[in-house]
Amino acid sequence: MILVSLVLLIVPFVFSRSMVSLINEMLIMALAGCALNLMLGYGGMVSFGPAGLYAVGAYATAILLTRYGAPFIVAVLAAPVVAAIVGAIVGWFCVRRSAVYFALLTLAFAQIIWTIIFEWYDFTNGDNGIVSIPIPEVLYVGSNIYYFSLAIVAVCIFVLWRIVNSPFGATLQAIRENPMRTEFIAVPVRRYQLAAFVISSFFLGIAGSLFCVFAGSVFPDYAHWVKSTDMLVVCLLGGIYNFAGPIVGSGVYILISKVISKNTTYWMFFLGIIIVFLVLYMRNGMVGFAAEKIFRFRNKLGAGNGEGKS
Amino acid sequence: MIFETQHLTKKFGGLTATSDVSLQIEKGELVSIIGPNGAGKTTLFNLLTGHIKPDEGKVYFQGREITGLPPHAISRMGIGRSFQRLNIFPRLTTFENVQVAVFSAQGKSHQLFTSAKKMVRKETETILESVGLLGKKDTKGGLLAHGDQKRLELGIALSVHPSLLLLDEPTQGMSPQETVETTVLIQKLVKERGLTLIFVEHDMSVVFGISDNIRVLHQGKVIFSGKPEEVRRNEEVQRIYLGEENK
Repeated sequence: MILVSLVLLIVPFVFSRSMVSLINEMLIMALAGCALNLMLGYGGMVSFGPAGLYAVGAYATAILLTRYGAPFIVAVLAAPVVAAIVGAIVGWFCVRRSAVYFALLTLAFAQIIWTIIFEWYDFTNGDNGIVSIPIPEVLYVGSNIYYFSLAIVAVCIFVLWRIVNSPFGATLQAIRENPMRTEFIAVPVRRYQLAAFVISSFFLGIAGSLFCVFAGSVFPDYAHWVKSTDMLVVCLLGGIYNFAGPIVGSGVYILISKVISKNTTYWMFFLGIIIVFLVLYMRNGMVGFAAEKIFRFRNKLGAGNGEGKS
Repeated sequence: MIFETQHLTKKFGGLTATSDVSLQIEKGELVSIIGPNGAGKTTLFNLLTGHIKPDEGKVYFQGREITGLPPHAISRMGIGRSFQRLNIFPRLTTFENVQVAVFSAQGKSHQLFTSAKKMVRKETETILESVGLLGKKDTKGGLLAHGDQKRLELGIALSVHPSLLLLDEPTQGMSPQETVETTVLIQKLVKERGLTLIFVEHDMSVVFGISDNIRVLHQGKVIFSGKPEEVRRNEEVQRIYLGEENK
């Protein structure tokens, strides 16, 4: 943990500018992944629409800054609140169904959000997106933007970590395992699923807002289902049953997609192959795979020691 | 009277799964519901616990009508239940399986930022001990032996402090040895906690071993109600149910 934070802190001194902004992207994606994974891995709710809420966060910040000239802090703080409100409305409908129907509903709502952004020119600037958003100059000095992202992502991921380890988190996992049983230990299952949906939306909104600040522009693509699948792949790649899964997944996914796309125009083809390989051979994602190997290795060591003593 | 149903009826398409069932259960009574496969036993349970809503009839618990309430509300009022299948949280440890239920019983499930790890440890371990699983508390629920899983489910059901316990085939799939142990365990727990028990069971040794009273269900109807000896003597019950078993 400490090592990782140290490495992340000295990143701007070691790497090139483009590498720093790549890591910045990874950080934001890691947060989005962890937010999604609260539902996916912990709640067992497969959402195909996280990008919709991510975009709501991004657009909330962008529109408040450009259209209403809101102070920067207000624009950033408003993003998760707006995303959570939209999440509450969308979630209210979605948690009424489970499994594949839940997934379909989330996809449908995300596409609705995408369409609204795409078509509502007067408010969202439609498919032109919103560019040259007035981000405070100070963030573009040196590596300030990187540290800004790092600080917020670190705090958010810490809060999410607290949540998954709380009684709420335990109850959420019980719901994932067996909703009917959970209902009959007097837990109003739907209400908890909705709560998970709203919390997830809140943090997706922060991730979206951070990306808006980082890129200085927003586009309807942020809400597109392709972006949602990016987030899902990040979670699955890293492993949905480990808290660190989406964090590792984000790093690996963004790295391979950038490295490959630099060398070939068919990057999606190679990415697909890599994903197939990872999913087939590392069933619980990379972190799950590693955890299992370490566990076995330790067991072996333990057994070895035991023999030594006897 | 702790529990009562009046004229409970449920149809699925053309099939009448439950037909005009009126039950009266006294506090502290141990009642078993028996009947051949497809007699509507599990449907009846699902009606009692709010998992399905009856077409007609009413359900009362401790004098209050609970017909149509959602399962979590019924559970909160003091009815515990075990299920025939899909009964535990397989990827959680045995400890966590019970802990989650204790959180709910104590109204702590919604706490977002406190660390769950060391919470309600004592209560959870007490329950694990009472069902004989304390030694396996760190094993994942899904990796327990079948008999242990059944007992774990009993532990989960007990965690919410029910006054009425509904058990759906508590010894299903157990070895004769486990069946005897579980029967003794259920009797002990029910007595200790002063519970009222309604259970569905196929194993006649368990049925006759535990029950004060037996209701025989056939084609959705209660066709006989009485003490174990009376059930044994009754010819119609013999023909419909016990006879079939002996074939």
